[in-house]
Amino acid sequence: MSWIKEGELNIIERISANVLKAGPMPKHVAFIMDGNRRFAHINNMERQDGHTQGFNKLAETLRWCKHLNIPEVTVYAFSIENFKRTQEEVDGLMDLARQKFERLLEERENLEKHGVCIRVLGDLNLLPLDLQQAIAKAVLATKNHNKCFLNVCFAYTSRYEMTNAVRELAWGVEQGLIRSSDVSETLITECLYSNKSPNPDLLIRTSGEVRLSDFLLWQTSHSCLVFQSVLWPEYSFWNLCEAILQYQLNHKSIQKARELHREHQASLQLEADRLCTAEELQHHGNGKPTDAHTRQEALLHYITCREERVQNFLTALKHKRDLFFHDLCIEATTA
Amino acid sequence: MVMLYGLLWRLLLLLVHVNRALVSWLRVRLQSWKSRLWERAMASLLLPLALAGFPEQQKKLNRTPGADDNPSHANGGPSPRLRYISDGMSLQKLPVHIGFLVTEEEPSYTDIANLVVWCMAVGISYISVYDNHDIFQKNHSRLLKEIERQQRHLMGGDGHPYNVEFLSNGSDKCHNGKKKSKVTFVFFVLFFPGAKTIPDPELVVKFGPVDSTLGFLPWHIRLTEFIFVPSHRDVSYKDLLGALKLYSSCQQRVGQ
Repeated sequence: MSWIKEGELNIIERISANVLKAGPMPKHVAFIMDGNRRFAHINNMERQDGHTQGFNKLAETLRWCKHLNIPEVTVYAFSIENFKRTQEEVDGLMDLARQKFERLLEERENLEKHGVCIRVLGDLNLLPLDLQQAIAKAVLATKNHNKCFLNVCFAYTSRYEMTNAVRELAWGVEQGLIRSSDVSETLITECLYSNKSPNPDLLIRTSGEVRLSDFLLWQTSHSCLVFQSVLWPEYSFWNLCEAILQYQLNHKSIQKARELHREHQASLQLEADRLCTAEELQHHGNGKPTDAHTRQEALLHYITCREERVQNFLTALKHKRDLFFHDLCIEATTA
Repeated sequence: MVMLYGLLWRLLLLLVHVNRALVSWLRVRLQSWKSRLWERAMASLLLPLALAGFPEQQKKLNRTPGADDNPSHANGGPSPRLRYISDGMSLQKLPVHIGFLVTEEEPSYTDIANLVVWCMAVGISYISVYDNHDIFQKNHSRLLKEIERQQRHLMGGDGHPYNVEFLSNGSDKCHNGKKKSKVTFVFFVLFFPGAKTIPDPELVVKFGPVDSTLGFLPWHIRLTEFIFVPSHRDVSYKDLLGALKLYSSCQQRVGQ
């Protein structure tokens, strides 16, 4: 079954979509697609069929998001914790993923037409090599598309993502690209797998569970959280509209909180920059007290240098990550 | 056409706000009545579940048979402390660490202090209180005083006060109390663990209308259950016990 479900909304759906679009719309929605196995159990299906239905629902949801002008979607497809499931179920999920990523490559033209960029976030080294290669091909094939973005979290946990970001920062300091004093909340965000995306505006979890289960914990700190009891394979357009309405009701207060947080971060950064500048002046100075003008100039200079260091580091990090995918593709073609 | 949709959207929002106002008004009026009447009132308003402010959770919260508003310490009978302990032990599971996330603009120290005292009384060891304006953080001594006051008020003259240790920003600064039944009261503002021995919060009760964690402990809330209570103002012991009962019925598969 295809990743992209074609088709228009019916008249009532179209009217409701237009009403919702008159208000603030989320630009990035994250889904925890929970409930596939319970759905299978209720409908006397095999678990594997439940997961397949779940994928079909994903394709349908992407179509609704396209009609609602939501350009970015992130989904929690497979957690590192899910490796604890039975070998049979894990193998079934890996097979489903293989099928779908290979299908993606067959639909390359369609994806180009719709401008869909696919990214896969997670510790891909945990996956079978052939799946890693299929993923790498899909990611590279759609890398330059920019109309809409689908981020699939596969072999992912938020804690792993955060510790990995810190590891990358440690690498940066080791390589002399950045100083340890350059590390900040903002820089950590830039080192996460999701660094090319804005933070999700809305996080939806289906099946009635009310926890985040190690999904985008850092990125959703100021997102609207909506927990819905419907099972994922039964998710409807109206469930999505409900969630968006919830987002719209929370929009002002969350924007305010985000702004407050941003201001706080900016002031912390300025304070840190001032401290570092003062240390440098003391270190390089000749013991004489400096005037405000010198301090201000030194501060601006320090900030410029820090930003340059950080840019170089992030470029090196991007290159390292792109190389990972390129190498996988080369391995795949030479194999 | 665009203007028409704009008007319709405003109308929709207005309807939702009116519904919510009606629901909270009814909740206050009917809380003392039989829960069946409350459910019928809800159903008659034909509210889509999510829009009435997680009424599924609220229906479960209201359905707490036999839970008193507050174990009385004025009358005779078992001491209030024993009553709280027995309530705590009657639950299938109790969180070791509970978080109170206040998204309302003006916090009420008395109500939060009540919640802290009740939590300590039922046997919860770690309590975090958070708001994204750092109000509790900046006024922690006022909150601690209020907690001491509410302990005396709610527990009567019964026995020793609870021991409260206060940590700030994970930096092990302690106002050390006295002897036994240690409870640690924690203000967390930073994102990374300071004191390594504090467990992750198993339960976070969110108060107020904002459906977001607003930056509360992103690292620590990986498996935390979230329960929503509309307001912390005039929150009752029954509300807290209802949330704890809801928590005790949650089952976690942890990936399996």
